[in-house]
Amino acid sequence: MRAGFARSSIARLALLYTLVLAASMVAVLGAAYVLTSRIIERETEQLIGAEAQGLADDFRDKDLDTFVNLVSDRADDPWVRGGVYELRGPSGDFLAGNVVALADAKRSVGGWTEFEVTTSRRDENLGRRIRAKITDLSGGFRLLVGRDVQDRQTFRHVMLQSLGWAIGATLVFGLIGGWWLGRRISRAAAAISANAARIASGAPGERLPTTGSGDEIDGLIGRFNELLERVDVLTATLRAVIDSTAHDLRGHLNRIRGAAQDAERLFTNAGQKDAQGIVIAEIDRLGATLQGLLRIALAESGTAPLEPVDFSGVVSDLYELYEPTAPGRLTAEVEPGLFVQAHRQLLAQAVANLIDNALKYGNDGPVDLRLGRDNGHARLEVRDRGPGIPVESRELALQRFRRLPGATGLPGSGLGLSLVAAVARLHHAELRFADNEPGLAALLTVPLAAGMPGDGR
Amino acid sequence: MKILLVEDDERAAEFLAKGLRELGHAIEHTADGEAGLAAAIAGGFDAIVLDRMLPKLDGLEVVRRLRAGGSGVPVLILSALDEVDERIQGLRAGGDDYLTKPYHLEELTARLEALARRHGEAAPAARLVVADLELDTRTRRVSRAGRKIELTAREFQLLEFLIRHARQVVTRTMILEGVWDYHFDPKTNVIDVHISRLRQAIDKGFDRPLLHTVRGAGYTLTEEP
Repeated sequence: MRAGFARSSIARLALLYTLVLAASMVAVLGAAYVLTSRIIERETEQLIGAEAQGLADDFRDKDLDTFVNLVSDRADDPWVRGGVYELRGPSGDFLAGNVVALADAKRSVGGWTEFEVTTSRRDENLGRRIRAKITDLSGGFRLLVGRDVQDRQTFRHVMLQSLGWAIGATLVFGLIGGWWLGRRISRAAAAISANAARIASGAPGERLPTTGSGDEIDGLIGRFNELLERVDVLTATLRAVIDSTAHDLRGHLNRIRGAAQDAERLFTNAGQKDAQGIVIAEIDRLGATLQGLLRIALAESGTAPLEPVDFSGVVSDLYELYEPTAPGRLTAEVEPGLFVQAHRQLLAQAVANLIDNALKYGNDGPVDLRLGRDNGHARLEVRDRGPGIPVESRELALQRFRRLPGATGLPGSGLGLSLVAAVARLHHAELRFADNEPGLAALLTVPLAAGMPGDGR
Repeated sequence: MKILLVEDDERAAEFLAKGLRELGHAIEHTADGEAGLAAAIAGGFDAIVLDRMLPKLDGLEVVRRLRAGGSGVPVLILSALDEVDERIQGLRAGGDDYLTKPYHLEELTARLEALARRHGEAAPAARLVVADLELDTRTRRVSRAGRKIELTAREFQLLEFLIRHARQVVTRTMILEGVWDYHFDPKTNVIDVHISRLRQAIDKGFDRPLLHTVRGAGYTLTEEP
C-alpha cells in the first residue's frame, strides 16, 4: 500500500499540485516584494532629492560660512535620524558633514550613489547602507545628501525569510493534503478494483457498492456498474446462444446416431455392418468435436461457476490415472494442499489434456509433472522430451483446430490445447510454453484461492 | 424393467424406445412434462428417462415435484446441454444420473440398470462377494478363494465399484465418474489400462476369469462366462 501510494498517479498529482502552489507563492510574494521595495525606494529618493534641492537653494542664497554651519548642524542634529551629509570645497577639502564618502563615491545618472558607511562621526551610522545624491554646487563645491536605507535591507531580508517560510509551509501542507487526498482516493480506487476483481472471478450479478455521496467517485462507480450490467447481459446472451446451439446440434446428432444405430441392427451382412460402424464412429467423433467446442465456449463465456478446488489432489489423481498408460514415462512431484478457485471438471480436463499431449508428442520419452507454489500462485509444469513447439508457433498452438505440422498422423481434433487456453482464461491463469531443452514445457500458473497461506493477499 | 420415457423429440424417443424394447424392457412414452409427471406419479416404473427440456413442464421441475411427492423411483436425466455445468443442477433437483446427447444406447442402458438395481438394494453391504472373490469395505481386505490379494487404494476403489455393479455392464465413463469423480472424456485408453492391471491382480492364476470386457460397451464383473 505504501509503495503503491508512491507509485500511484494520485501521489504524482499531489506532488505536482504542491510544486505549482509553491511556485505561485513565490510569484505572488516576489511581486509584492519588488513593488513594495520600489515604492519605498522612490519615497526615499523624493525625500533626499527635496532636501538636496533645499540645501542647493540655501547655498545660492547664503554665504559660505552660514551654509557650512547649516550643513554641520544638520549633520549633528540627533533628531534627523539616518541623515547623512558631506560638503567638500573645490579642492576636495572636507568642510562639513558626518560621513566621509564623497571622494570614493561612484555616481550614477542624476548623481545617485549607494555605499556603506566606513568613516563617520556618528557611530550609529557605521556599517549602514546609505542612498545618497551628490549635487555639484557652483564654484566646485560638492554636496552629498543621503538617507539610511538599512531598513530597506531589513525589509528585503524579512521578505525573503517569509518567502522561505511560505514555500516551506506550502510544501508541508501540500504534501500532507496530497497524501490525505491521495489515500482517500487510492482507498476508493483499491476498493473498486478489489470488488471488480471479485466480480470478475466469479460473482456475476454483483455490483460495486456506491457511497451515496454523489461525488465523482460515486459517478465512476455508477458508470462501472452500468458496464457490468452490460457485460452481464452480453454474457447471458452468449450463454443462451451456446445453450441453444448445443441443444439444437446435439438433438440432431442424437437423432442421426439413433437412426444409424437402428439401421446397423437391421443390416445382416458383415460388409454393411462394418460400413455402418464407420458411420457411427464418425458421428461419435463429430459429437466429441462438438463437445470440445461447446466446452471451450462454456469456459470462455466465463459463466462456469468456480469454487475452491484442491489442485494438488486433481494433479495427483490425473498422474495416477495416466501413469499406467505409459509405464515408467510419467513422474510427478506434487506439493500437497494447493487450493485454487476453479471449476474442478474443467481444470481436470485441462490438466488431462496437457498430460495427454505430452505423452502423445513426447517421443516416448519421460514426462515430468510438477506442481508447486510460486508467489501466490500454484504453478503446474508438464515437461516432455519431444520435438517441442518452435517459438513462432507457440501462439498458433493455442488456436482452435490448429494442429501443428508433425501431429497430423496422430489422433485428436486439435482442440486439446485451445481448451486448455480457454480454461486458463476462465481461471485467470497463465498458460505459457517454454523450451525444455529438448522438448516442451507447458506452464500453467493459477492464482491460489483466497485465504490460502502464502496467497499473497 | 418397466421404463417411463419422457421425451419431446419424437424421432429420438422412437429410436430409444425401440432400442430399449429390443433389450427386453417395457417402455411407456410421454412427450411433455405434465403428462410425464402424471404417468410417473401413477407409478409402477422401475426407472424414468427424462429429457431436461420439455414442453409444458421443465424436466428439472418434473423431478422436483416427483421427489416432493415422495417418489424414489430412479431418474436418469437426458440433456443436450453440457454436463459439466448442468449435471449438478440435475442431480440437485433430485435426478439420480445425468447423460448428455448424443448418447450411446449401451451407455444409457448400463446406467439405467445400475440405477434400478441400486434402488432395489437395501442398505449397501460391507462385505461384497462375487463367486469366490470377496471384498470387505471395513477391513479393506480383498481375497479370492481364500487367498489374500494386495491392491493399491485406487485398485480397491475400482474393484469395489465393479463388485457393487456385479453382473451389470459398466461403461468407461461410468468408471471414470464413479471411481475418480471426473466427467470428461479421457480420449485415450486410460480406463482399459487400469482394468487390465486389476485383472492381473484378481484373475491371474485362476481358471475362471471374473472381469470381462463387453465389446462396444465396457466391462462386467461376473462369475458367468
